[in-house]
Amino acid sequence: MRRALIVDDAVTVRMYHRQILEGAGFEVDEAENGVEALEKALVVPYDLLLVDVNMPKMDGYTFLKEVRSTPQLRAIPAVMISTEAERRDREQAYRVGANLYLVKPVRPETLAWRATLMTARGGSR
Amino acid sequence: MGHSGVARESAPEVRITDAEFERFRDYFYRKTGIRFEDSKRYFVDKRLIQRMHQTGHESFREYFAFMRFQASGKEFQELVNLMTVNETYFFREEYQLKCMVNALLGEVLHHQRPGETVRIWSVPCSTGEEPYSIALYLLEFWDRIDEVDVEIVASDIDTQALEKARAGVFSRRSVNHLPRWILEKYFEPLAGGYHRLCEDLRTCVDFRRINLCDPKDTRGMRDFDIIFCRNLLIYFDEASQRQAAETLYDALKPGGFVLLGHSESMSRITSLFKVRRFEDAIVYQRSI
Amino acid sequence: MGLVKRAKEDQAAPSKPHIRKYGRDLQGLLAQLHDDQVKARRWAARDLAAHPEAVSALCERLRVEPDPTVREALFGSLLAIGTEAVVEGLIPLLRGEDAGLRNGAVEVLRQLPDAVGHRIAALLADPDPDVRIFAVDILRDLAHPQAPGWLLAVVESDEHVNVVTTAIDRLAEVGTPDMAPAIQAVKDRFPNEPFVGFAVDTALKRVLGDG
Repeated sequence: MRRALIVDDAVTVRMYHRQILEGAGFEVDEAENGVEALEKALVVPYDLLLVDVNMPKMDGYTFLKEVRSTPQLRAIPAVMISTEAERRDREQAYRVGANLYLVKPVRPETLAWRATLMTARGGSR
Repeated sequence: MGHSGVARESAPEVRITDAEFERFRDYFYRKTGIRFEDSKRYFVDKRLIQRMHQTGHESFREYFAFMRFQASGKEFQELVNLMTVNETYFFREEYQLKCMVNALLGEVLHHQRPGETVRIWSVPCSTGEEPYSIALYLLEFWDRIDEVDVEIVASDIDTQALEKARAGVFSRRSVNHLPRWILEKYFEPLAGGYHRLCEDLRTCVDFRRINLCDPKDTRGMRDFDIIFCRNLLIYFDEASQRQAAETLYDALKPGGFVLLGHSESMSRITSLFKVRRFEDAIVYQRSI
Repeated sequence: MGLVKRAKEDQAAPSKPHIRKYGRDLQGLLAQLHDDQVKARRWAARDLAAHPEAVSALCERLRVEPDPTVREALFGSLLAIGTEAVVEGLIPLLRGEDAGLRNGAVEVLRQLPDAVGHRIAALLADPDPDVRIFAVDILRDLAHPQAPGWLLAVVESDEHVNVVTTAIDRLAEVGTPDMAPAIQAVKDRFPNEPFVGFAVDTALKRVLGDG
């Protein structure tokens, strides 16, 4: 089964994204900020990261930079999901290594098929 | 307020609903990083109800609002105390000692000058079980102890605990997890199931009274390679946690490591440290 | 070789590294805040916690400081100083492009209820929805008696879906049963947003405490 890590400091957002990803066949873990997400991702081999931007202790950009500079984590596909809709935010996300940038609130079907597509390469595990 | 003046023999039946449990669980997780699984429901409910009675609140809602908005944060700390187990004994959380000898010390030696002393700080050391466990582990499970000097500094804010630590007499419970051969090799049995650690080991740990939150106390604490700071930060309020993390950071050499207790995480405190995963444990590192 | 103890006379030895080229007074520390060495800047930032008059210098440094460990020390000292000048100095960071600075500022501001209280209304009325979200983030842990009321006002009147749902998320934690009608009413204002329905239902369940 594919595994996803949801990184967001809002509990209702985590629950909502969890419901969507579980519906799409993912097994889901949650983290409240970037530091906790690193702690988890170093232990569990995730197939997908869903990352919020603004979080306490470590924001989403810094987290993705860490992920992309850590050999063990470098290749994990990452979706950045933000409230910030301006172009500079999108550009910054791709610059630090996001594979996809979505603006909140996301449509369930969009997240479900994008997540499925992004993790389909190796077939189902 | 119809209940005033009515003496109750026993407290009324209080129940925590699913939604209330989830509300508490999410709050506790956000603040501490500790997440209670559904299987812990009974354990959590029981303690919540206990604190509700002790603080005179009849509903979860009232109690939660009281705890949540209390400026001092004392009630929250009470809950942390109740929801976590804090006891000390030899070889507690042994996987971290394993991590020290299997991985951390190798990295430490790799970065230091030949002949330099390896420095380890155990804070809070309480009655001594932790620093002595570190010493025993180094002597018995680290093959390079004969070529390298290691200095162990142990500190606590509690002078009575430090006295006990220096005396080195431990109850049966304290030494219960030690392999028998270690107990026989390093301890002398006393009456009443007590054991005294041999003098050589007692004198090799440098015990000091230090308040981690007092800059005057911590000013001299520098150049450590490894710090064990287990089951302390979780009992601090947010501002103290932040300050303590800065102090630990500055007490480390570049590349030095901090180990926290198994239910603790830097994720609720700071991003100063790099998260490192080793075979036996997650460890926090000051960048090189 | 083996376990050793440092001789007593050496114990006091390695104290804070003294950077000789600077004085230990305010002027010296302010100069040291711009040293080339990270370590020197970090110590200056920490020591400036004792100088409330250094607030503007600390805030200025935050905008250009590249090293995260120095930033942490800068935020830590600003928190320790905790005056209204700190609040005034940090609020502009909420509009900046650096997410680390924005969130660091939020974390300090939400621990200064007395100084930040009278700025909340203005932040919640800011034309930039992201600034309003940061205000809601500050309210999340602000030990201020008005915090739940402010959140409720956002839920009732803000026009932006992300500001409103962030406030609903916070009310799921701190809301009271009397807020249920206002939370429920949000569904009608954003009828085509599945997330709004989900957040409202979740918050109502928590706020009412049933189920």
